[in-house]
Amino acid sequence: MRNFLGKSVAVGVIAALALTACGSGREEEPGGSDGNAKGFAANALIGVALPAKTSENWVLAGDLFTNGLTEAGFASDVQYAGASTTVADQQAQITAMITKGAKVIVIGATDAAQLSTQVAAAHQAGAKVIAYDRLITNTPDLDYYVAFDNFKVGQLQGRALLDGLKARKPNGPYHIELFSGSPDDNNAGVFFNGAMDVLKPEIDKGTVVVASKQTDVKQTAIQGWKAEGAQARMDQLLTSTYGNRELDGVLSPNDTLARAIITSVKGAGKKIPVVTGQDSEVESVRSIMAGEQYMTINKDTRNLVRQTIAMVKALQAGQTPEVNDTKSYDNGSKVVDTYLLPPVAVTKANAAEAYADDPKLAPLTR
Amino acid sequence: MSDAPVLLEMRSITKEFPGVKALADVNLVVRAGEIHAICGENGAGKSTLMKVLSGVHPHGSYDGRIVYRGAETRFADIRASEGAGIVIIHQELALVPDMSITENIFLGNEPRRRGAIDWRLANRRAVELMARVGLHEDPDTLVKDIGVGKQQLVEIAKAFAKDVRLLILDEPTAALNEADSRHLLDLLRGFRSRGVTSIMISHKLNEIEAIADRITILRDGRTVETLDVRADGVDEDRIVRGMVGRELGSRFPDRTPRIGEVFFEVRDWTVRHPISAERRVCRNESFVVRRGEIVGFAGLMGAGRTELAMSVFGRSYGVYESGTIVKDGRQIVLRSVADAIAHRLAYVSEDRKAIGLNLLDDIKASTVAAKLAKVTRRGVLDAVAEHRAAESYRRELRIKAPTVDEGVSRLSGGNQQKVVLAKWMFTDPDLLILDEPTRGIDVGAKYEIYGVIQRLADQGRGVVVISSELPELIGLCDRIYTVCEGAITGEIAREHADPETLMKRMTSTKRTQPR
Amino acid sequence: MSRAKDLRKNLFGGTTSNARQFGMIFTLVAIVVLFQILTDGLTLRSDNLIALFQQNSYILILAIGMLMVIVAGHIDLSVGSVAAFAGILVAKSMSDWSLPWPAAVAFGLLIGAAIGAWQGFWVAYVGVPAFIVTLAGMLLFRGGNQFIGNADTIPVPEGFRVIGAGFLPEVGPNTGYNNLTLLLGLAACAAVAWREVRARRTRREMAADPTPTWISILRLAVMVGAIVFASLRFASGRVGTSFPVSGIILVALVLAYSFYTRNTAGGRHIYAVGGNSRAAELSGVKLRRVNFLVMTNMSVLAALAGMIFVARSAASGPQDGNGWELDAIAAVFIGGAAVSGGIGTISGSIVGGLVMAVLNNGLQLLGVGTDRVQIIKGLVLLLAVALDVYNKRQGRFSVIGGLTRSLRRDTPTPAAPEAQRAPAVTKVPG
Repeated sequence: MRNFLGKSVAVGVIAALALTACGSGREEEPGGSDGNAKGFAANALIGVALPAKTSENWVLAGDLFTNGLTEAGFASDVQYAGASTTVADQQAQITAMITKGAKVIVIGATDAAQLSTQVAAAHQAGAKVIAYDRLITNTPDLDYYVAFDNFKVGQLQGRALLDGLKARKPNGPYHIELFSGSPDDNNAGVFFNGAMDVLKPEIDKGTVVVASKQTDVKQTAIQGWKAEGAQARMDQLLTSTYGNRELDGVLSPNDTLARAIITSVKGAGKKIPVVTGQDSEVESVRSIMAGEQYMTINKDTRNLVRQTIAMVKALQAGQTPEVNDTKSYDNGSKVVDTYLLPPVAVTKANAAEAYADDPKLAPLTR
Repeated sequence: MSDAPVLLEMRSITKEFPGVKALADVNLVVRAGEIHAICGENGAGKSTLMKVLSGVHPHGSYDGRIVYRGAETRFADIRASEGAGIVIIHQELALVPDMSITENIFLGNEPRRRGAIDWRLANRRAVELMARVGLHEDPDTLVKDIGVGKQQLVEIAKAFAKDVRLLILDEPTAALNEADSRHLLDLLRGFRSRGVTSIMISHKLNEIEAIADRITILRDGRTVETLDVRADGVDEDRIVRGMVGRELGSRFPDRTPRIGEVFFEVRDWTVRHPISAERRVCRNESFVVRRGEIVGFAGLMGAGRTELAMSVFGRSYGVYESGTIVKDGRQIVLRSVADAIAHRLAYVSEDRKAIGLNLLDDIKASTVAAKLAKVTRRGVLDAVAEHRAAESYRRELRIKAPTVDEGVSRLSGGNQQKVVLAKWMFTDPDLLILDEPTRGIDVGAKYEIYGVIQRLADQGRGVVVISSELPELIGLCDRIYTVCEGAITGEIAREHADPETLMKRMTSTKRTQPR
Repeated sequence: MSRAKDLRKNLFGGTTSNARQFGMIFTLVAIVVLFQILTDGLTLRSDNLIALFQQNSYILILAIGMLMVIVAGHIDLSVGSVAAFAGILVAKSMSDWSLPWPAAVAFGLLIGAAIGAWQGFWVAYVGVPAFIVTLAGMLLFRGGNQFIGNADTIPVPEGFRVIGAGFLPEVGPNTGYNNLTLLLGLAACAAVAWREVRARRTRREMAADPTPTWISILRLAVMVGAIVFASLRFASGRVGTSFPVSGIILVALVLAYSFYTRNTAGGRHIYAVGGNSRAAELSGVKLRRVNFLVMTNMSVLAALAGMIFVARSAASGPQDGNGWELDAIAAVFIGGAAVSGGIGTISGSIVGGLVMAVLNNGLQLLGVGTDRVQIIKGLVLLLAVALDVYNKRQGRFSVIGGLTRSLRRDTPTPAAPEAQRAPAVTKVPG
């Protein structure tokens, strides 16, 4: 036994020594040197983590990032979260990007509040983090935020809804229903508040009536921006509230939900109300031209991606990227430097003009 | 008969499994129109031989040739052999309990008309086929609602639906009571007179002696001999000699019982049926067991012997209604199996594979399974103690396995039964209830198990043996209770026990049965 | 006995289950090496290994409980929802009722136990199949999560995050490594050596042929080597990182549950129930109690996994736990458990889970999208189990068989050894 033990200890020690020899000391990283960014190699890796491919927009954004970053000379790694295990996937993807040494990580968060550990890790590894389209909350380590002005989006939706209602029927009261986006998406509330900013006075006056009385953001929310969720809610509203009443308008936060709502109304054999939207998805532009959906918002993803890549380039060169709002976006830990792009409301009337230089949408408007 | 044409000839069949040669140079000649029995101990290769014949082991996976109806065959699978009219009926019936008799008979072989099943034709043919096997039931009856004997007949009818020329029956009477067995044997004789050839595998030597024309005996994967029953004047002892390679002096070891006091008593035992609240499994039954005594419970299958025993063993069957158990002069209450084990009762179940053993376990885990506390030190299983315990029983019971690490699923039936015995001997019981301890076990192992039972009794324990084999009970027991329909109908001392008396009591309170 | 045969028997395991496990470990090592090459050394870099453990500890914790559930012959589909439900309650308890975080952890475990008792009651005492009970639980507790959280995200305080995102502190002299991680590694080496010595003693007491000394040393060297390598890797990550706290929780649970399932009567009973419940019952096993405990335990572990995920994500969200049950079940089956129950080991499940984790991580490092990752994982699960089924039908283990055949070359004929022939020979006494 003694012999055996002796031999084994010897073997163990030798193995340990052998391995110690190859395992070198640890990198003592200073951790995301602030102040004057020094910039980084022009062919560095840029990571882009986007949510699951639930809307055309994200697919388009992914393609634009891949092409744009490659064109700019960067190595790009664009990843989507899986369809069911979104948050965990995105966490793992961001971590993998950090491991691969990405210098900037652009994140379209699937859950705005559940990425702070990864953002912190990126920061410590010296990578800059840009929140794309959705603000990441509860982290002091987020560097920039790029988005369309989402409050404005909501206001445009509210305005358009009122215009559409007036155009159909000169006098109220109009019966409308409200929908809002996924509660875990920070933007959903912003859209809704923007729209209510316009609609509230009319509701209070009584010219616009929410017949179901569901006006709270929690009642109107559609988990995960899922089309089937919106369709189910619309089905229920039609049965419960619009048995013998006409539905005049629906505030829908985006195109996917707008189409689901229209599908539901059609299914119930009702006249299609004025429905708002957002994102300028191909199907919705078709729908608008066919006179079904009333409006959408053109937040040209091209512009947003272009702006993001411009920020990445600035960081590469060691400059401070341009921002135009340093006050409004508090993520719970800090006020994040933000670049806001202006959205455009599009109806059948101005569609041709609005999509004139969009190769995919322009043909649809003719 | 002996000059009837040869229907089937299997020549020099050799089949190897990894590490084991299951068949070595086996020859079998079956003549048209005969009943040919294949005998051998468990593991002798009977089933493997039949699997080779029926295409379960396809052509190419064995060596040797099969000549059937004058031509060499190369069955690729079981459908091919069935197409040629060779149908095998396994010990475990291949019926779907929730389907009707007709549906079962034509399962996989449904008569069709324009793509759809022609149920009218199917039912008509089913009635014809059932008549051929002497089964008189509504063809729409669900198979689960008829007894196991009739199920066996459905199986055979199913074989006839496939135009059987050669019928192979694997242990056809193992699960049948005496009456059903007799009926089945008569049926086979009837088939013979109509020219159907049968191969029958059985452990019941008296049946083989009574019905077979010729017998091929296998031992350790080799052909020992083929006997012509009439010409060679074959009897049971002759078959046994062939199977084990020598004579068995007496099938029951000599023993002088040393019977002590009554130590275990069941009084006025009444148990309700687990599902239907009106039925009683047994009503006000009482029995006693003395130290050092082997007590038999004789009864036909379904007489309620197992149910009675299990209800006593920690209420593991039925719903307890009333009655008391007295052990060593004190009344005890056994609410669970754990209670029963704690009071040193043991029950060796009838169906080893279904409820006696965890077939995924090895020998050592199985041995200690009913009393883990004995090999547990401060909450931790002691692997050494477990191994030692199992090893000592392996030696004592001559369990044929290289080590106690062997999985029980790899053991033969007899050795599995020994492991179950070891498991319960390990609990050091005062009262050991053995339910059909030798069913499906070969002759050699049977003899050994009888010896073990006697040794246990001689150590001053009480042993209860439940069996449907009367010679076994008569040879082994000091006293026999007869059971019929849940009631104890008689108590017979060894010296008065003979098959006729027992059978009369076993059927005495029997109500008139339909047909 | 030739050396090659010794090696085959002792290192790769004489029994089939050992062989199965060796096969899994071999697969794991192969995958690691493959990705190590494909990713230019990223796979085994300190930060990646640390991230790998942090990302997967909660799934592996679920796999422990799931293994026991599956061995007992059940399944639990509700683990993801239970994790999410416990997670949101714990987050709420800290944010709304300002419970201190250790109390919140205890509260979370209690919730898990309560849910488990609820599900265990239906499974064990009413006899509703676990598939149904937990399918109901899946809906029930997912709905509960959304109801309580209003489908909102609730952040958790810094202290709580330690169990999911924390590391061992830096103490002692500056050695260039995380000292506590090194100590852990040292302890592990000592434990492994002690176990080997004990195993040899046990074998001697059983009077079995002893393992040849050189095999013991080889085995020990391999294991110590692996531990030393791992602890150096974990200890040499960025300052402030080390072997993650969630990893320590995982290792502690793996050790405790492995011991329980292998070396106690309670553990043996789970296998007995899964292998043949009627036989177990007739051997005095309290069937209902075993089923109840197994289901309860699963939910407790699910609650723990949920808390670790919430801690790592710094917030509890409505998507938490989505699809976890599938990952845990996949890990258990890849790790060699039988669908019908009675077979499987904790270590196997962990290895199975690691195979999936490394695959996931490696593909992500290669920049393969989640769509294709899912396809690959699906195929791996199917192939792993299919191979198992195929091998079982062949009555041998082809991967292992192939490996060992080449090692056996010096024993000329692979004829059946005497030992295996023995059962077929029947002797009659007297």
